[in-house]
Amino acid sequence: MTAYTTPIAIKKKGNHSLEVSWEDHHISLYSFRYLRQHCSCAGCVEEWTGQKLLDPETIALDLICTKVETTGNYALSFSFSDRHDTGIYHFDHLRAICPCESCRGKQKPLRF
Amino acid sequence: MSDQNNETVLTALSQVIDPALGKDIVTLGYVKNININAGCVTFTLAIPAPLFPSKEKMREKAEAILSTLPGISSVEIKMKTEIQTAVPTRGVPGVKHIVAVGSGKGGVGKSTVAANLAAIFSEYGAKVGLVDGDIYGPTVPILMGARNAELNQNERGIIPIESHGIKFMSMGLLSKGSAPLIWRGPMAHKAIQESLLRVDWGEIDYLFVDMPPGTGDVHLTLVQTVPVTGAVIVTTPQDVGMTISLKTFRMFEQTKVPVLGLIENMSTYQCLHCGKEDDIFGAGTVSKEAERLRVPFLGGIPLSKKIREYADSGMPVIFADPMAAGPYVDIADKLATEIYVRNYNKRTLIIEEEPEEASESFTV
Repeated sequence: MTAYTTPIAIKKKGNHSLEVSWEDHHISLYSFRYLRQHCSCAGCVEEWTGQKLLDPETIALDLICTKVETTGNYALSFSFSDRHDTGIYHFDHLRAICPCESCRGKQKPLRF
Repeated sequence: MSDQNNETVLTALSQVIDPALGKDIVTLGYVKNININAGCVTFTLAIPAPLFPSKEKMREKAEAILSTLPGISSVEIKMKTEIQTAVPTRGVPGVKHIVAVGSGKGGVGKSTVAANLAAIFSEYGAKVGLVDGDIYGPTVPILMGARNAELNQNERGIIPIESHGIKFMSMGLLSKGSAPLIWRGPMAHKAIQESLLRVDWGEIDYLFVDMPPGTGDVHLTLVQTVPVTGAVIVTTPQDVGMTISLKTFRMFEQTKVPVLGLIENMSTYQCLHCGKEDDIFGAGTVSKEAERLRVPFLGGIPLSKKIREYADSGMPVIFADPMAAGPYVDIADKLATEIYVRNYNKRTLIIEEEPEEASESFTV
C-alpha cells in the first residue's frame, strides 16, 4: 500500500462533490457526475476488451449521489440518482482519475 | 498511612514499556483499577491480546518497580485480556477482528491450521468464532468434532454451533454426508455473506475465516462485505505451493487486506522409526519468501501423523496433546501480537458528510 493510493480522509460535500485527501498530501476533488462517468463496473466498461460502454454525455448534468460507502478496505461505492450503484471504485482507480490540473494528462485509469 | 497515591503509582508504572509498541503501559491504557490500602497496592493489567509474549515480563517489571516505592509493602497485579478494535466493525456486529486464512492451492492444510489456531486463541482466553468459507469442500465440522450438528435459527439469525468453546458456522452442515454443493458464483457469494452476516455471533474477539484455496468468488465477497483485519497465508515449502501462494498474496494486496504473515505447513517430517527429521518439501523457503515480500514469517509446522489423527477425530491439538501444540502456540503468539500492533497503528477511515456549500457551481 503506497501513500499515493492510501486515502486518509473522505468528505462527501453535499450531493454534488467528493473530496479525498491522500497520504501523500494530495487532495482530489471530484464531482459525482465525473465519478459516475468514470464508473468501471461491467455494465459501463466491457470486461474483456476494456472498451467503454457508457457514453459520458448521457449522464444527466444534475446527477447527484445519495450515499457513499467504503467497500472492504480498498474501495468506495456510490449510490447515484440515476439508480446506478454497481461500481466499485478502487482507491488506485480513484487516484488515477483525479481531475486536478497536475494529475490530468498523465491519467491512465486502472482496471480490475 | 501510605506515602503513595494513584499519581505516584502511575508515574512509577510509566517506566514499564510494552516492547511490541515501544510505549509505556500507562499511556497505552493497560493500567486499571488502582487501589492502595495500607501499603498494599493492587491494580489490573489489561493486556491487549490473548497470547501476549511480553505479558509476564511486563508484570514482573511492574511488580519490581512498585515494590521499591517507599511505603509499599505488597503488590498484587491482576491480569486481564482486553482485546481492542480500531473500527466499530460495520460488517459483523459484535465481532472485533476478522482474520482470513488463505492459501494458493488446496491440500496445504489450511483448514487444519485455521481450526488449530482458533482453538489456541480460545484456550488462551479469547472469544473465538470460525467460518467455513470453503463452501465446496467444507471441513470445519469434521475438524471441530461436530460433523452431525444441526443448525438452528433464532430471531437474530442462525445460531452457530459451539464446539470446544469455539462458535463455528459451516455450509457443510446443510448438505449431509457426501452430498456436494454444486453452486455457481452468485450462490457462493450469497452463502458466504449469510455465513458472516446472518449468524447470531454474540461477542467475538477473533473471527477466523477458513478460505477456499485460490482467488475466487468467496474471496472477493469476503473482502467486499466486511473490513478484514488481515489475512494469513498457509503454504507448503515446495516451489509449486509457494508460487501459487504468491497469487493469493497479490490478491490481498490489491484489495488492501494486510497480510499478517506466512505460515509454512508440513515444513519437516520426523520419521516414526528412526526419529530423524526430513525436509520432504524442502524447508526454509517460506521464511525467505516472507522476507522478500516484507511480511512476517509466523512459523513452521511439521508434518505429523499425530496432528492429522487429531484433526480427523475432531480434536484440536491444543486440547488433545498440548505438548505437541508448541509450533501452533508460537504462531498464534506472533499472530496475536501482529494483529494488535497493526490495529494500534491503524487509522480509521470515516466518510464525513458536509452540507452543500455555497460553491454549488462546481462542475466538470
